[in-house]
Amino acid sequence: MHGVKRVRYSREALAAQKERELAKLKEFQGLTAEVLDRKKRKDHGRESFDLTTRLLHVNPEFYTIWNYRRLILLDGVFPTSTPTQTNEILSDDLSLTTTLLKQHPKVYWIWNHRQWCLRQVPDGPTDTDPNGWRQSYWNKELFVVEKMLEVDPRNFHAWNYRRHVLDNMPVKRTELSELAYTKRKIEANFSNFSAWHQRSKVLTSLWSAGKLDKPKSIEEELDLVKNAMYTDPGDQSVWIYHRWLISLGDSKNVVDREILSIDELLDEQPDSKWCMESLVFYKRLLLRKYSESLTDEERWKLGSDCEGLLAKLQRVDPDRKQRYIDLSGHSV
Amino acid sequence: MDFDVVVLGTGLSESVAAAALSKAGYKVAHVDTNQYYGGDEASLTVEELAEWADARASDDPSSDYLANQRARYTSITRSQTIPPQSRQYSVSLAPSIVPSIGPHIDSLIASGVSRYGQFKLLEKVAVYDRPGYVQSVPGSKEDVFKSKALSLLDKRRLMRFLMFAAGDFEGKKELEGKEQTPFVQYLQDVFSLKDQATSAIAYALAFCTSAEEPTLPAMQRIRQYLRSAGRYGASPFLVGHYGGLGETAQGFCRTSAVKGGTYILGRRVVSVESSPDDSTKDEKSTSTSHSYSVKLIDFDERLTAKVLVSSPDYVPTSLGGNTSTSKQSAYAVARCVAIIDKPLVFTPSEVPEDTPSTDTDGPTDGPEDEPSEKPEPPSYDVDTALLVFPPGCLQNGSTTTAVHALVTGEGSMSAPRGRYIVNISLSLSESTLSSSAEELLRPYLEAALSLTAPPSSSSVTSPATSLFSLFYIHHTPAAVSSAPPSSSSSVIVTPPSRPHLPTIADEATEHAEAMFWTAVKQLKAAGVQRTVPKEEAEEGDASVEKAGTEDTSPDIDSFWPPLDAVEDETSDEW
Repeated sequence: MHGVKRVRYSREALAAQKERELAKLKEFQGLTAEVLDRKKRKDHGRESFDLTTRLLHVNPEFYTIWNYRRLILLDGVFPTSTPTQTNEILSDDLSLTTTLLKQHPKVYWIWNHRQWCLRQVPDGPTDTDPNGWRQSYWNKELFVVEKMLEVDPRNFHAWNYRRHVLDNMPVKRTELSELAYTKRKIEANFSNFSAWHQRSKVLTSLWSAGKLDKPKSIEEELDLVKNAMYTDPGDQSVWIYHRWLISLGDSKNVVDREILSIDELLDEQPDSKWCMESLVFYKRLLLRKYSESLTDEERWKLGSDCEGLLAKLQRVDPDRKQRYIDLSGHSV
Repeated sequence: MDFDVVVLGTGLSESVAAAALSKAGYKVAHVDTNQYYGGDEASLTVEELAEWADARASDDPSSDYLANQRARYTSITRSQTIPPQSRQYSVSLAPSIVPSIGPHIDSLIASGVSRYGQFKLLEKVAVYDRPGYVQSVPGSKEDVFKSKALSLLDKRRLMRFLMFAAGDFEGKKELEGKEQTPFVQYLQDVFSLKDQATSAIAYALAFCTSAEEPTLPAMQRIRQYLRSAGRYGASPFLVGHYGGLGETAQGFCRTSAVKGGTYILGRRVVSVESSPDDSTKDEKSTSTSHSYSVKLIDFDERLTAKVLVSSPDYVPTSLGGNTSTSKQSAYAVARCVAIIDKPLVFTPSEVPEDTPSTDTDGPTDGPEDEPSEKPEPPSYDVDTALLVFPPGCLQNGSTTTAVHALVTGEGSMSAPRGRYIVNISLSLSESTLSSSAEELLRPYLEAALSLTAPPSSSSVTSPATSLFSLFYIHHTPAAVSSAPPSSSSSVIVTPPSRPHLPTIADEATEHAEAMFWTAVKQLKAAGVQRTVPKEEAEEGDASVEKAGTEDTSPDIDSFWPPLDAVEDETSDEW
């Protein structure tokens, strides 16, 4: 655990602990031998099933035992069960994986078993509602993935899984609620590329569906991202999102205004590499995209500003010196 | 009855020292005239609190200890009726919030006392703004980002300061030469921070009590708190269950008792005497060692020991204790304890008017609406939180000193359901004053109560009134000088700890450690053997020849010895 000082224990205390561990180890070895033996004999009975449960609690990474468990279910249990019973058993197994995931959130085999259980869910509870059981499991999946993202909001596997769950749910969640979810994650810690990325996907979808007013929405996003920029100008994901927002628009005024904001931030934080780099990018954007509306003098000034910034960048970010030299050499 | 050490008073420092001495293998007798543990840091029920107040307000001097206590606590007034369920309250005489990193936490863990007690994370710190409203205190990047009250430039400057304060700032150019500058001025000059931000930083992050406090100690405190955030939760501070420090002191006493310490509560100390021993056989010894003997009422035998550790109010004048004429206060704090029946509501001033934003379910989403996504008005009720009054924020309040009010409810196990204890502290700049504690603190109590009637509630509610209130002034003694400090034979008197919310626990623990080492030195010089566990004795250096009168047990190498049992490290909740 982080931050917990190592406490000193007496020699007796440590010796006692070692003995306890030895006893546990012996138990585990005995149990493993028994279960593997049953597997060899293709014993697919109830007792074997319970033994796999015990063993998996001790070591959930033992994927052979997961395989064995599935064989027991497919061969010994499901054929003689009603849909309701099957559903119950799957529900219990899902609970088992939830418990184990809390302690072992990255073990592939537990996730694997979870997916397998979800695929096995029979139609039910009734003929008129064949997706009822599935729907409630998918809802729970969403809940589980949200818990994972609470523990580690930058886990891109979890974000992927989240998209997978959202796609597969029989009754979909609204995109606006997903937008709200990304906002919560960003507010908790905006140094989170995955959250911004998700937000960009959801917004795009909402715009094309006509559910949100695009220009107004872009303005709100620019405001949000600016707050993040000023709070931590060193955060990369924020600048990348900003760049995406600018690329969506067609208004020179907006680009001018944003350049002004970033200039002010640079005044306050003169060593900010991202400010400088973004200014170069946006000024060049003006030169490329809005060339006709610029006077000769303005064009010249933008070019010289960029040269100045690139020179400074070489000093502030010497690791990428060559890149800045390159950029200043090339035309817009 | 013969002991190695007699400790008088079960305040926090004395209890920590007693526990360490017992654990080190010394025979300890620990005495307190009161019927409860904790001394000046005790946690009391309301009835006990009323008795405590009355005993110190009355004129009848039934003991030296009480006479000293009467000088220590002045200007006492209280409401007469005791609320029902009075035994379910634990009111602290020394309210405290414990930083998650620091000497107190370290000792709690290393001594094993953390296993006896439980803690609640402080929920919020807010700055009083105007009746019914508070300003939240941005103490992390997340807070700063979300704040609607700070401008973009404010956010950058505040973040720059927080990053600086969390790092190794000693010797950096932003600080060099300015360590003694008044802190508020420093924030304005070096970080271009404005009033609201400097106020929040000085009084609600660094917990200064005035704008004049010097910069370096304030910066060190902020750094400790910034680094404490996240260890057990978002807040840097823990509040002990059952009244905080009193319960903790009791935990240390329990540890001491488990290791063989003898506990005597509720006996008046009749006399404390010291007599020099016969000169030792070792001619090299330059100091004479003493023996102390303590007579308790209704106790036939005197308690004797080579070393005496004592809280200042038990030290008789013959051994250097304070006479009433020489009483000099180092610090004085005006206190108010009030019990109320409604929670405080920390409604932020900057909550904007309700505008529909694109980030919530709109009415366009017909049948796909999910009931769980409808925005609910957030609840700003608090159970265990800190309210800060910067200087000048109240018309009838102090213009120079900040006031800190700790409110604790059921969550901290210090009050029954639906009840809350408000504990207000105001540092006084002069120890002699014309105003009474009540006059000084009533405006603050009323302002705090105005927060129980939130403006956002749908029905007009009136603010709570207090079911019980107590006001007093607490004088911390100046350091007591008994015999010259170089002598190895003086009474070890607990040095004063400033009774300030975030620092008192750490200070008291540091004092306890100093007292422990002094005691050990005196005990060694007096040739007292300690009982050591076999393991330690084996590791000790047995080859050194020592004279007969000297302690042959191995040197103590740390404040706390190793713990006896490995705990399952699955419990990570406080």
